Amino acid sequence: MQTRSPLIGMIFWIVLSFVTLFPIYWLFVISVKPAVDLFSSPSVFLDTIYWNNYAKVLTDETLRRYMFNSVVISSGNAILVTVLAFFACYALSRYNIAGKENIFFWTITNRMAPAAVFLLPFFLLFTQVFAFGDFKLYDTRIGLILLYCTFNLPFAIWTLRPTIDGIPKELDEAATVDGASTWQVIREVVFPLARPGLAVTLILTWVFAWNEFLLAATLTSFNARTLTTGLSEYVTTTGTEWGTMAAIAIITLIPALIVFSVVQRHIIAGLTFGAVKE
Amino acid sequence: MVLGTRRFRTGSPVVEEWTRLSPFTSFGRKQMNVKIKIGAVALVASLMAGTVPAFADFWSDAGAKLKGVTLRGVTESTPPSNYIKDVLAPEFEQKTGIKVEIETTSWDQMYDKAIKDMEAKTGIYDMVYIEQDIVYAYLARNFLVDITQTLKGDPSLKAPDFDETKFTTFANYFKGANGDLFGVPMEAFIKIYLYRKDLFDDPKIKEAFKAATGKDLAPAKTHEDYTQIADFFTKYAKDNSLELWGTTAQAHTGHPASWYEFFESVAPTFGVYNWGIDASNNYAASVANGGTMNSDKSKEALKYWLHLRDIAPPESAASTWTEVATTFAAGRAAQGLVYGENAAWIASDAEKSKVVGNVGVALPPVADGVIAEAEAGKGYIGYYDGGAFGIPVTSKSKEAALLFLQYIGQDSVQGGWAVAAPRITNTSTYEDPGVKDMDAKLGGYYTMLKDDGKLFAGAPPYPFHAQVREATSPIFYRILTGEVGPDEGLDQMAAAAEAELQNLGYRK
Amino acid sequence: MGSNRTGWLMLAPTLLILGVFGIVPFFYVLYLSFHQWNPFAANPNMIFIGANNFRRLVFDGEFLTSLWFTLKFAFFAVVSEIIIGYMLAQMLTRDFYGKGFFRTIHTLPLIVAPIVVGSVWRLMTTPSIGIIPYYLNKWFGYQLNIGSDATAAFIITVIMDIWHWTPLVTLTLLAAIVSLPKDPFEQAQIDGANRWQIFWHITLPMIRPAILATVFIRLMDALRTVDEVWMLTGGGPGAATRFVGLHIWKIVFPKTDYGYGSAISIIVLYLTLVMCWLLYVGLVAPRVRRSKVNADA
Repeated sequence: MQTRSPLIGMIFWIVLSFVTLFPIYWLFVISVKPAVDLFSSPSVFLDTIYWNNYAKVLTDETLRRYMFNSVVISSGNAILVTVLAFFACYALSRYNIAGKENIFFWTITNRMAPAAVFLLPFFLLFTQVFAFGDFKLYDTRIGLILLYCTFNLPFAIWTLRPTIDGIPKELDEAATVDGASTWQVIREVVFPLARPGLAVTLILTWVFAWNEFLLAATLTSFNARTLTTGLSEYVTTTGTEWGTMAAIAIITLIPALIVFSVVQRHIIAGLTFGAVKE
Repeated sequence: MVLGTRRFRTGSPVVEEWTRLSPFTSFGRKQMNVKIKIGAVALVASLMAGTVPAFADFWSDAGAKLKGVTLRGVTESTPPSNYIKDVLAPEFEQKTGIKVEIETTSWDQMYDKAIKDMEAKTGIYDMVYIEQDIVYAYLARNFLVDITQTLKGDPSLKAPDFDETKFTTFANYFKGANGDLFGVPMEAFIKIYLYRKDLFDDPKIKEAFKAATGKDLAPAKTHEDYTQIADFFTKYAKDNSLELWGTTAQAHTGHPASWYEFFESVAPTFGVYNWGIDASNNYAASVANGGTMNSDKSKEALKYWLHLRDIAPPESAASTWTEVATTFAAGRAAQGLVYGENAAWIASDAEKSKVVGNVGVALPPVADGVIAEAEAGKGYIGYYDGGAFGIPVTSKSKEAALLFLQYIGQDSVQGGWAVAAPRITNTSTYEDPGVKDMDAKLGGYYTMLKDDGKLFAGAPPYPFHAQVREATSPIFYRILTGEVGPDEGLDQMAAAAEAELQNLGYRK
Repeated sequence: MGSNRTGWLMLAPTLLILGVFGIVPFFYVLYLSFHQWNPFAANPNMIFIGANNFRRLVFDGEFLTSLWFTLKFAFFAVVSEIIIGYMLAQMLTRDFYGKGFFRTIHTLPLIVAPIVVGSVWRLMTTPSIGIIPYYLNKWFGYQLNIGSDATAAFIITVIMDIWHWTPLVTLTLLAAIVSLPKDPFEQAQIDGANRWQIFWHITLPMIRPAILATVFIRLMDALRTVDEVWMLTGGGPGAATRFVGLHIWKIVFPKTDYGYGSAISIIVLYLTLVMCWLLYVGLVAPRVRRSKVNADA
């Protein structure tokens, strides 16, 4: 591919970016149009901008709470999951654990369940099993952080395992010979080399938690509601408020973008470290 | 009144202190309250001297017993519910000290959450929104508190300004077999026939219509008229390349909105009531067993409606109530059947609608004899929908919830509520000056609700509402896509309904 | 290498969480699947009916149709995503001007919540006034109506899924590719291997586990898609996009048929598991065989 002109590559990426961005641009268009204009002949460009949807969203305190919950829950879950998965993968990769391939395959089965039916046992777990006095797991942020592990942990373990397996065992052994403890090996040798994988895992588990809808809708009520469930409030029998929904979605792109750009840098970092291998 | 309450509350710490220090057991507290009541009345009387009605202290007094309680309700995020959340709940909290948290959510979520809570007896919610179509299911399961009985049992909870007889007849839908009230109505609408006054009055169009049909253009009374007008407008718009069609159609091919339009708004106008299921006859649906779901009338109704769908705007095949309302508001349809909750903003909200001031309302077109049957109480001409707030028996704060329901059921809060979110549940609200103003703007919608509301009806009293709908709607969607013919499809639907009813154990 | 106890300790929290929130609910659903239970039936209690639910679903045309459409959907969506995603990941390993920028743009769809994705695509494809049908009609005279054209609606759901989830594939494969050791590639270049040979003999075998993981994730997510399709088509026209996740949702939520819904869920879970197992065996086994061959040689 080195032979291909960089110009063609550039054109390709620009075209691709247009395709990728168009629905997001359209989301923006929806957010700055009064509802009635969505039902007339469309035009790609905007002639007037209608900011009321944003005014409505930005002054809404409830939404701010939802946003806060979403950030806490998805960040908490992504960090927890990435850390747990990192250790789990290290264990699966480096130790002779009986039946480890079966355990590995079993973890992924937790993600296969169609959510709708499982809401009922989750609901019972949250309201009746994990209920101690006045405390219930129901409608708490920690409840969702733990619950999201069911679909995020399998994902994280499966994406991290190849990365960790790919780090040559000889490096661990060399460090151990030099007198490093297990903890030091993990911190000094494995962790830096696994950074691209960890970064991607962190981003994607964050995304899954950020976007989750059904579980959050059923298992929260007032205190721990997340933005995605807040979005569904705009789908009603009196009509769906597309504009408001779109405005929220556009605003929520911002924290997500920040998380993305911070974490994504580590994917490149991997390239330089990759050269150290062997 | 608000002023009075606030002043009273400045005096109330004394009373609170008194209650808190009181060594009385809960048994003794009742007597205590009498004293507090007397004390409070005296306090208010001395502070306010005649500026406050005699019962102004009821809310603070009743609330004093229940201080620290937080009520939780779940409802759909609609304008009437949002008014409760944003206006009535804070008002109530200010007056009683009882905190109210209203969770608003989407339509499907709301049911699921309420049902899971009540089924698992979790007691999360103290109030649930009950749409008229689900109330029979809840009553059948004894999910709800009998409001009438509870108030009788504890008169100290009874608010002076709350009276069951002040509700419109819509409240009857929330009464149990014993005639007791199980839900306090909070919204009520009728699905009406909207037409574009500007088009119907346009001399050029009138002339063209006369030339084409030999009739005068006027809102349709019969199905034939309606079809003729719809055909005319669709063709007229095509000839003049206008973005206009003759009718709306709520004909989504994958969403129950289409199923509802047919069974609640179209089939009844042909004399097919209660979805064609005969509850008195072992829940028969098919003609062979004594039902009418696949009767000739029903088939005629479906073909009539499918034709309208074909001449409606192209988005109709993907239209739920949202799109139908927006289609009409965008000026893309000359006439159509539209839910009352949307009719109001279409007619009056310039930010959302391009047809403000040009909307006329009329009764849906009907077949011969249907009006007579409706007037005799044997049938109905369209859908009367709405909802109420009820108290799950699993609630842990029934008394406080009961206070709140009485609060939102009072005549005095209705006027502002009706103007903010066009719904009427109390008879006296029709006389409110703000409502009368709106009625004029809405082309007489409220007058129609008041005078002709009796011709409309809510969903049939089935405890298996969603179950039968879901069992039959996949076939209905296939009829809409043309995979199954309408006659054959209705036969299949009747069979599917009976099978589901058998499976559920209602049909023997 | 430390003792196995350390290994188990590292695994323990994961096993605990998955055990509590994974296994316990599974057994509850399994238990339900042998019961008839609809809280709004004439008898609202759970009634044990043995395997009747499973017997019923074998002849349930709606379920089988839904399953068939779901498999088609998953096949088209996942295959396209893997191919496109891999190509983009490969391109992102090279340095070029504005790479970070393009990569960020490419990942944007991931952070739009599924119900919003469904809403935007619904508004973009509203018959006659959505931007896509409008210009298709204006430029090509093609009438796109996702309300009445089943094939078109199905294709739109696939395209929407590709738009939304290809970035996930790109990112996971990119992470895998950049983690690869450099030596084999340099060696191959010295030996004069062409690009195709390098891809086929070096890159592909080395990132096979990552591809497998990605295929699994996408496959099982595609098989249980609900939110986006629910917003876009509601399952229509007819049953064309009533994918199995949505089908189960409709049985469990509005219809409250918990018993039958549980049985369907168990079967879908089982089918997903079998499919993934076959893929696992199919994709991992050749690797083992090949390494044996190499060892023999």
